[in-house]
Amino acid sequence: MSGMRILIIDDEDDIREVAALSLEATAGWEIITASSGFDGILAAADPGRRPHAILMDVMMPGMDGPTTFRQMQLNPEIAGIPVLLLTAKVQGVDQRRFAGLGVAGVLFKPFDPLTLASQISETLGWPQ
Amino acid sequence: MTALPSIVSWLLLVSVFLLGVLTLRLASRARGQHKELERLNEALQRSREYAEQQKHKLAQRSDLDTVKDEFISTVSHELRTPLTSIRGALGLLTSGMLGDVDPKAQNMLRIASSNTERLIRLINDILDLERMESGRAPLKLRRCSIQDLAREALDTMTTMADSAGIQIELQCRAPRDSIYFDADPDRILQVLTNLLSNAIKFSPAGSTVSVQIDSDTNSLLLKIVDQGRGIPADKLEAVFDRFQQVESADASRKGGTGLGLAICRSIIQQHGGAIWAQPNLDGPGTTLWLQLSRSARASDSASPEPVAPPAERGEGLVLVCDDDPGIRVVVMEQLRIHGYEIMEAGSGEEAIELARRQMARAAGLTRDNDATAQPIAAILLDLYMPGLSGWETLEQLKQSPATASIPVVILSVIPPTERLGQAQGWVQKPFNENLLLSELGRVLRSSGGAGQVLLVEQDQELARTMLHGLHEAGVRADHAATLQQAVDRCMLGPPDLVILETALPDGDGFSLVDWMRRQPALKTMPLVIYSDRELSDGDMHRLRLGPTQFLNKARIRPKQVEELVLMLVQRQSKPAAVAQGVRD
Repeated sequence: MSGMRILIIDDEDDIREVAALSLEATAGWEIITASSGFDGILAAADPGRRPHAILMDVMMPGMDGPTTFRQMQLNPEIAGIPVLLLTAKVQGVDQRRFAGLGVAGVLFKPFDPLTLASQISETLGWPQ
Repeated sequence: MTALPSIVSWLLLVSVFLLGVLTLRLASRARGQHKELERLNEALQRSREYAEQQKHKLAQRSDLDTVKDEFISTVSHELRTPLTSIRGALGLLTSGMLGDVDPKAQNMLRIASSNTERLIRLINDILDLERMESGRAPLKLRRCSIQDLAREALDTMTTMADSAGIQIELQCRAPRDSIYFDADPDRILQVLTNLLSNAIKFSPAGSTVSVQIDSDTNSLLLKIVDQGRGIPADKLEAVFDRFQQVESADASRKGGTGLGLAICRSIIQQHGGAIWAQPNLDGPGTTLWLQLSRSARASDSASPEPVAPPAERGEGLVLVCDDDPGIRVVVMEQLRIHGYEIMEAGSGEEAIELARRQMARAAGLTRDNDATAQPIAAILLDLYMPGLSGWETLEQLKQSPATASIPVVILSVIPPTERLGQAQGWVQKPFNENLLLSELGRVLRSSGGAGQVLLVEQDQELARTMLHGLHEAGVRADHAATLQQAVDRCMLGPPDLVILETALPDGDGFSLVDWMRRQPALKTMPLVIYSDRELSDGDMHRLRLGPTQFLNKARIRPKQVEELVLMLVQRQSKPAAVAQGVRD
């Protein structure tokens, strides 16, 4: 589905860059990025460039993914934006913890750059 | 951890026993006393130190587990993060999405890319194996059909097989009602797809990989037969070890991690089953065998109720023989927690000597008339030991009349072979607790359990005397002091004969006989009612099961009862006893 705007929040510059390029090149989406939970909330709240979905890392210094997600839910303007966690934590216990947060989905690192966009679409029920 | 003081006290007890035995010997020989005592003292000191070390190690283990857990989780996360960037960058470059790349550079990118994938699989496999072997990935057991699981695995692998030009087929020879077993379906599916993927990878195009399902009374057998290049005889077992591949180039060429079969084995062992490889007899290629237990309740296989893994309660004296003290400690700890009493031997020679002495002691042939000395119920025997090997030890045990009747369970890194020989059971190392306990339990039950005669008697003093008498006569017997204990003991497997006092602290002999009458396996049990009570004709009628004798304690001495029991046990082989019971 073209015309989508995605916000990527990750503290790793390289991962932000690769993920952004992958989504732009494979799906033609518009990408905005933020390197911390705090910047992510600011970027999401910008009324002119509100994202259709947020792809967010779990382990970040300062506010981690789950904390950022909870903060977002307190802001009615951005609470409705679906959030996908992108994590290198693959153990069952972590997965169950993430599922309990109420996020739209959990995707795992290392992701496949060629199918990341379709994974996002599938999880969110977007037509592909 | 509460078990530790008893390990220590047990070790000390054995040491004291050894001291006693050696002291007797020393008295008969006048020479070299001093030296031997010194040596003994040294040995005692060493065993004390060893016990202390083990105690310390066990205490540290649970802390270590937590640390290891966190470490693995962190390392896995830290490795994945840079890999995410590498995989992403390489993936985009190789896709050509970012413009054309020179063919030579393209080849380099392909190499970097496929090795990144391999590294990712490796991290996943290490994590998987680690979680399984530490017991942090408990099985979610439910009733499954092996046929359905195999079908699902085949469906999953069809694409891979098709692109390799290989045909895969499924044959189920097991009867419809015997294909159900207790398993974690996701884990079994993981094993089957892994084995199929291996078979496909190592098969030439145009060949067939066949999955065949069979069953016998207690277990399911599944084999995967390929027509590949085969596994050399000396590698048949090693392929299940970590990072072992038949040819060192296989890992890179076939994209494996070297952990697939180790994971399979771990999963199958967790299920209490076995996995092994055999060369095909009628041509090239390999057959991978899976043996899976259908659970203790194989007969009502249609019932969908989940069956918890067995936590068998054992009893009886078990001799553990292994040259590795670490393994002895682990095995002894596991058995002791589950109610067994233990003796240990560090070599085949020592095992034979200990077994001979203990059996003589139990039979009352030695002078230290110890009524508590019980015969050895089973021997756990390692195969590869310096000095006498396990096979040689087994042979000698079976040749000596005193020890020939003791069932032996082989503990070995190699899988059960045709050479089970005179052994009654087999547990493959590394084993888990359930596997060890269930195999030992099975062997003890099938060899007549911990005893062939069950004495139900609340008077401990009388029970001790009678048990001693029976053991002396070479009859295996055990004792239940309460109605509940008697029921529990019968549930483990029917004894050949029950000696019963009618008065019991938690009920009476009448209720026990009523209960036994309702059990198909017990309703024709030969009984000897040995009681204070004057029994009416009605009482006798109620107490009668199979051939039943009524003896009054006021008139018949324990010794006479023992003689009668001995006669009954020796005269009646099991089937004869049942037949006679029916006629009565």
